[in-house]
Amino acid sequence: MGTISLEHSDRLYWLGRYTERVFTTLKSLQSLYDQMIDKSHKYEEYLAYFGLDNVYENNNDFIKKFLYDANNPNSIAFSLERTYDNGIVLREEISTEALSFLQLAKDTLIKSKNSKNTRLSLLPLEDLLFGFWGCIADNVYDDEIKNIIYCGKSVERLDLYLRMKYPFNEVEKAFTILCKNLRNFSKNTPYRYNTKYLSDLVEIIGTKDDYENNSQKAIFSLEHIFEEMKVNI
Amino acid sequence: MSAEINNNQFTQAVGSADEINELLRRYGVKFGIYKNGTFKEQFFPFDPIPRVITAQDFISIEKGLVQRVNALNEFLFDIYHEKKIVKDGIIPEDFIYISSGYLAQCEGITPKNKIYSHISGIDLVQAKNGEWYILEDNLRIPSGASYPLIARELTRIACSDAFTENKVVDNRNYAQLLKDTMDNANCGGIRAILTPGRYNAAYFEHSYLAELTDSVLVQNDELFVEDNILYHKTYSGGKTRIGVLYRRIADEYLDPLNFLPESLIGIPNLMEAYRSVNVGIINAPGNGVADDKGIYYFVPKMIKYYLGEEPILKNAPTYLPFYSEDRKYVLDNLDKLVIKDVAEAGGYGVVFGNELSKEKLSEFKETIIAEPRRFIAQEVIDFLDLPILDNGETVMRKADLRAFVLSGKETKVWASGLTRFSRNPNSFVVNSSQGGGFKDTWVLSR
Repeated sequence: MGTISLEHSDRLYWLGRYTERVFTTLKSLQSLYDQMIDKSHKYEEYLAYFGLDNVYENNNDFIKKFLYDANNPNSIAFSLERTYDNGIVLREEISTEALSFLQLAKDTLIKSKNSKNTRLSLLPLEDLLFGFWGCIADNVYDDEIKNIIYCGKSVERLDLYLRMKYPFNEVEKAFTILCKNLRNFSKNTPYRYNTKYLSDLVEIIGTKDDYENNSQKAIFSLEHIFEEMKVNI
Repeated sequence: MSAEINNNQFTQAVGSADEINELLRRYGVKFGIYKNGTFKEQFFPFDPIPRVITAQDFISIEKGLVQRVNALNEFLFDIYHEKKIVKDGIIPEDFIYISSGYLAQCEGITPKNKIYSHISGIDLVQAKNGEWYILEDNLRIPSGASYPLIARELTRIACSDAFTENKVVDNRNYAQLLKDTMDNANCGGIRAILTPGRYNAAYFEHSYLAELTDSVLVQNDELFVEDNILYHKTYSGGKTRIGVLYRRIADEYLDPLNFLPESLIGIPNLMEAYRSVNVGIINAPGNGVADDKGIYYFVPKMIKYYLGEEPILKNAPTYLPFYSEDRKYVLDNLDKLVIKDVAEAGGYGVVFGNELSKEKLSEFKETIIAEPRRFIAQEVIDFLDLPILDNGETVMRKADLRAFVLSGKETKVWASGLTRFSRNPNSFVVNSSQGGGFKDTWVLSR
């Protein structure tokens, strides 16, 4: 095909972002769930990462709503629905096979709601997301399409890692991947990076100390990473 | 003539119903429907028991369909040029110019290779005596091929033995047939499929066919015409020429400068690009004049007129209240006939006389007398019921067949088709928009 409209490029970018949001949120909730087995009310710290108010009754209420409440914009159910919404209009670019993994992921999340063992029932969801990424790697032959999706994925991953104060080595890896994606965009696309903000990120994520002292600034720089500011972060 | 399904194959298909429907869910085989102003996406109910057409039956259907579509293409060329068929008195001119499908803007346009109907969806039914009848021609944007196409792929996964034991012609060549058809109409550039968007009833089909034919799926705001050439706008500010546009939106919305000015889903000046033969449009705008329910009556006459041949496939016995003799018959026998409003589609505007009260019958007679051109009347064909699975029970239901005929270098009939059935035991209406389901159509290779 070799021709991508602005609308589709936006969809591709957000497909990458939402899929990664589902995946990283899922992983972080799994880890939080693990910690909550022997501690109580650990989730407040998690809410604070995102500046969210604690409107939850208890650990269980928090976990259930963060997983399954499709009306909660922070939930996995909400992000997964947005993932599907973007994917459904990209069938010819990402393939029916890739899309089927998103449908299966939705079905798995719904099924998990009634499961007695939430953590166990969510493991297949991770597998399905890996399946989805496998399809993207394998089925999408157009590098430009792939790069837009991967760019969305790496922006989202870095953003979440920064907000959740992930260890430096993880953040550094996520940033390196993002830089590789950004380099592949030509000047006249909406994804061309802004040199100033990219330099800021290079500086902040350059050393462990700088990262630990300036992670808020890094979030700000990431929000302004695209030169034309046409991409809605 | 009706084909029998052997017991073994039947049992296998029934046994795999859940698996196949699960796979159809997985691959997102859906269609959209508006009910009470709200859009709902739902899975298209699939019945795993196929309709089977014997090789012998198919040969005759195939010949008949090729003949019919070739005549319809000749008719379209004639109507938008010399109108010899009108001048020679075969079709009264009223039926041409009153038809909402006739578009004066298409006068004098000759598309590449003189093909107007590239993808024709011809609806047929089989009567209990085995005879096939044409119910309707769909030459604008006939939909539905993708459903049996993907259903076959998935049925082969869920119940492969059925295909080992029965020699069924592989229908998975549809994408290649479509691609060849698009390439034949291509005036230089990429292939594109124009969709009104995700909230269209057939969006699954648009996106699936785009994937299979390696076409770009586009909406109007991604396209523009410059110097009578159609382009796709790219996200980097460039443009890519489109050589063939398989449009899935209705004629009147295609180009606001030529048709409905209020259309928000059209492409300004598309018709100029088309008229200059810089882009092929599949199917050609203006085809509605040939698949009008009133024109249907004349198709057998067209076959004789253009091809000098006897029609191989029969129309359902049809009457035109426009002719006084036919009108008298229709008024005298209204309670036995099915009446169709020529302006309606999708199973709407179809009235069965035997379902009307005395008062309604007499009201309807008045309407027919007042607007004779608006209706056609047909004998109710006692068509063959097909077995379908309903909550684990096999029941018999009315079903039709939409055959797909693709006109490229040659006119070819896809050896499959969409079999639609009514889920309501008392209904003849099989349209998905009215709750019908679908089956795969197997053509046996021997």
